[in-house]
Amino acid sequence: MPEWVNTNMGGATAALDYDAELMLRVKDGDGASFGVLLEKHRSSVVHFLYRMVQHQAVAEELAQEVFLRVYRSRGTYEPTAKFTTWLFRIATHLALNALRDGKNERSEERLDERSDEMPARQVEDRRPSVEQSLVREAALDEVRRAVAALPDKQRAAVLMHKYKEMEYTQIAKVLNCSESAVKSLLFRAYETLRARLAHMA
Amino acid sequence: MKCPLETREDKEILVAYGSGALNAGDTKLLEGHLQTCSRCREFASGQRVVWEALDTWEAAPVSADFDQRLFARIEQDISWWQRMRGRLGPLIIHRALPLTAVAALLVAGVLLDWSPRPKALPRATTAQVEGLQPEQVVRALDEMEVLNQFDRLMKPEPNQPKM
Repeated sequence: MPEWVNTNMGGATAALDYDAELMLRVKDGDGASFGVLLEKHRSSVVHFLYRMVQHQAVAEELAQEVFLRVYRSRGTYEPTAKFTTWLFRIATHLALNALRDGKNERSEERLDERSDEMPARQVEDRRPSVEQSLVREAALDEVRRAVAALPDKQRAAVLMHKYKEMEYTQIAKVLNCSESAVKSLLFRAYETLRARLAHMA
Repeated sequence: MKCPLETREDKEILVAYGSGALNAGDTKLLEGHLQTCSRCREFASGQRVVWEALDTWEAAPVSADFDQRLFARIEQDISWWQRMRGRLGPLIIHRALPLTAVAALLVAGVLLDWSPRPKALPRATTAQVEGLQPEQVVRALDEMEVLNQFDRLMKPEPNQPKM
């Protein structure tokens, strides 16, 4: 299925993304389309939220809220922006609120303990030694701490840029700021990360 | 090429280069510049380190019961709304209309009460009618009789032939 399809809207041909099409079907009472949207964006939203709050349970709780809000808004949904822009705007808003409300304190705790929730990447590798695993875990911990230390908006911008491969314009729409502000946020964020992670080369 | 680190607007080129998002033409230009500029070279290599470090950070897989929990919440949401509608439905049908009518009447009454009216005139008229005494009525009728008589004197007789 193509990501972008042409849809005739009120006589004028408008480019509408496939997700927005699905959401319009949800609006018309098609529950199955909501299932398709959930399947498509579930991991992406949970992973983004996980990297924002750095706590798996909190991230999933927030992601549930994101999709619940999407479902609740079906009646008033209008495809004025790309669906993922809207989706990540809700996710970012909830994540920033959660961080402000102190749920990140739990994520600090999370950073101090060895993770059972982290993906066992080493399992996929060719059985690294205990020492290699420890080194890798320490490096990963450093990356997580460096990202966690970024100001909230810079962190959100980096996560969308790096892991969601969003363009500056879309990040700007999600964060409700100008494109040049996004460029500035990203540059400062990467400079901070560079200073903190340079020794890992 | 002008050093990207010298101009604020061009710094993003280095970020884009580090993330592999720079187009082929700009990449060629920047790589030419990197050969001569140690600051930019240092920045670009640092950016590459950051990028690779971030690549190692994988997120945990989503819980298997994520959808189940979500649909349960949606179901709860819907059943809450249906419960509310179930409770409010009969109330709306049997009571909303009379209540609306009463409310509309009250609003209309309040609006009428607030509408500007000439105050002195009706009160004065009513006061005059209410204050009329029987003697005044008799006197008024007498005066009307006098006026009628005067009127008859002034008018010529209809059957009197003209000269």
